[in-house]
Amino acid sequence: MSRVDVSHCWKIYPRGNVVGVKDLTFTCNDKEFLAILGPSGGGKSSTLRMVAGLEEISRGEILFDGEVVNHLGPAERNIALAFESYALYQRLSVFENIAFPLRARGLSKTEVDQKVTSIAELLDLKSVLNKSPASLAGGHQQRVSLARAFIRKPNVTLLDEPISHMDQRVRAELRARIRRLHDDLGLTTIYVTHDQAEAISLCDRIAIINRAELQQIGTVEEIWNQPANRFVAAFVGEPAMNFITGRLESRQSVAIDAGEIKSVLPFTGEIDTKYVGAEVTIGARPQQVKISRTPLEQACVPGSIKIMEFQGEFTVLTIKLKDRDASEVKAVVQSAEKYSSNEPVWLHVNPDRIHLFDKETPILRRKSK
Amino acid sequence: MAEVKLENVTKLYGNKVAVREVSFSCREGEFLSIAGPTGAGKSTILKMLAGIEKVSSGKITFNDRVVNDLPPQERNVSMAFETYNLYPHFKVYDNIAFPLRAPRWGLKLSHQEERRRVEEIARFLGIDELLDRLPQHLSGGQKQRVSLARALVRRPEAYLLDEPIAHLDARLKFSTQTLLKEFAANFKSTIIYVTHDYREALALSDRMVVLRKGVIEQEGKPEEIYNRPATDFVGSLIGEPPMNLVDGEIITRNGAAWFKAHEDFSIQIRDDKVESLKKAAQQAGGSTVARLGIRCEHIRLSHQKLSDNSFQLPVYAIVHEAESSVVTFELKNSFLYVRTRGEKGHRDYGLSEKAWLDLDQDHLFFYRSTVDLSKM
Repeated sequence: MSRVDVSHCWKIYPRGNVVGVKDLTFTCNDKEFLAILGPSGGGKSSTLRMVAGLEEISRGEILFDGEVVNHLGPAERNIALAFESYALYQRLSVFENIAFPLRARGLSKTEVDQKVTSIAELLDLKSVLNKSPASLAGGHQQRVSLARAFIRKPNVTLLDEPISHMDQRVRAELRARIRRLHDDLGLTTIYVTHDQAEAISLCDRIAIINRAELQQIGTVEEIWNQPANRFVAAFVGEPAMNFITGRLESRQSVAIDAGEIKSVLPFTGEIDTKYVGAEVTIGARPQQVKISRTPLEQACVPGSIKIMEFQGEFTVLTIKLKDRDASEVKAVVQSAEKYSSNEPVWLHVNPDRIHLFDKETPILRRKSK
Repeated sequence: MAEVKLENVTKLYGNKVAVREVSFSCREGEFLSIAGPTGAGKSTILKMLAGIEKVSSGKITFNDRVVNDLPPQERNVSMAFETYNLYPHFKVYDNIAFPLRAPRWGLKLSHQEERRRVEEIARFLGIDELLDRLPQHLSGGQKQRVSLARALVRRPEAYLLDEPIAHLDARLKFSTQTLLKEFAANFKSTIIYVTHDYREALALSDRMVVLRKGVIEQEGKPEEIYNRPATDFVGSLIGEPPMNLVDGEIITRNGAAWFKAHEDFSIQIRDDKVESLKKAAQQAGGSTVARLGIRCEHIRLSHQKLSDNSFQLPVYAIVHEAESSVVTFELKNSFLYVRTRGEKGHRDYGLSEKAWLDLDQDHLFFYRSTVDLSKM
């Protein structure tokens, strides 16, 4: 298993001089599960392909355990790859598919048998080893593809959207299996996805790439609580973070103009004095907006419920605020709590859950807990 | 707007049954979803309502008027298809305006009025900047929203929407879902909505019909479908992760009923649940078995024993959610998922560490097994 360093990497496609990846630097530590997350066309697949050795690096270096691997082909890098499409050999049995990378190395029959059996055990594939891949359901086929990827003790495992297209039942199961496999085998795994929920579910850290550049790299908590810019704040989380206009009253409070009344929300953290009095964007995650049926002192914003979307354990409320812009805010509440359409409510956000942005830039500094 | 009713509707293709004796009604102004996996017969029902497919037997009525033999253009419904079906040589504007111009509805709108309506719905769905483009210059998601706008631009007796947001990316799907709900509320529309995505069905509907192989498995409000699935099939279809389903043996000891999945997973069933347990009982291989169902939020997890009914299992894996974690346990032919609250929840248990589990019997269900759990 290896530590992977991507150091000032560029990918420039000569046709049209398109910059696919721009000066990208990040590290995936040994035994770490790292997600590369971003919208399609943002540069994450180019990054993955450079790490895999499937794409030439235009500038910069990629290192495995401190050794530059730029000049090595995919096979020499000893990388396990699994894609959204399983790419199984349909004419070979499941056993032969899994054994394929070993056959190429000329291992003895007993060794092959023993290795295939042990990985098949981990992925619950023992009962289907003699079947043809085509006879299996999608989730099963992806497990075969994972088994084949993992069988030769790779330096690095690269997974490209392996489960996002499956139904929720299979997805839940494969998430658990992939995380278990990673932990059991002590793998270093890089997982590419456009689905923020997928990245959050599996990974220790997330690198967010957009418009060819790294936006932020950090633990799920860091990205959730201290997004590096507004793009990250909006991209991670479902429903997306709410943004409303406010004016900074002091270094500890921000006001929302709601007609006759002014709602003043206190916040914790440090802010530069120069922003006091300035118009800023307040960010609040729907999961962190609290709803009350009665007004609470001053630290709340009045509004009324416009739409309720039941999601099972939770319900997503769309609330129309009585602020200057008639903003709409989403809040996630327990479904057991019943609300009705047009009901007046008051919103508040804990002082340590408020985000503040000056255009794209966060301006509230907070010590991480 | 109309009340739409199906009575014992069957659809045969040759001798293959696509829909079998389905009856339900969508009241005037109601949002009703038909949910189910691919091949369940959802689209077939919608096509029969639209008049595109003939009913083999049974009756379809709009406001008590039988429409079985009416051609599509006389049913006064608006339909959006998953496959868009846009007119390739028309600009987006003309595609959306098309239903307003159909002589059948005699709307005879002035140019200004037509433009006002087209722009209104286009703005509502966020596609007002595409009005001058041709469909071939649109992405799949944009085409789908144009197709939806074309369906929503007119006020028919009923809207029939077949997976109308399936091809939008996740973010846009959720925002468009909210818009659809707003639309339904604003116009008190009768909407019949087909989807394979349980989240859309839960969020949008006043009521849902869950379909399996052409037969209704459950009908009810989204809250009922989620909180009290009628069958293991409905439970396995809805929720992320879906409802936990565990097979086990029923054992009666000293007048008390026990459910035993394996050596380490054995619980005594509360008296008020025994009846449902007995109803679900089946004979298999010389013993009496049933399938237990419980959602991941109704299992408590702890380092200590919580009650006489707690049992211990080793942690298989932990996956995260934004503000919670899902701790997974491996059972014989399935996984058991438990949701724990709090940001640091996932740090609490190590891999293979034994955790105590306690099932909340208020939310416990027993089913006859009708779904193959091992198949995925």
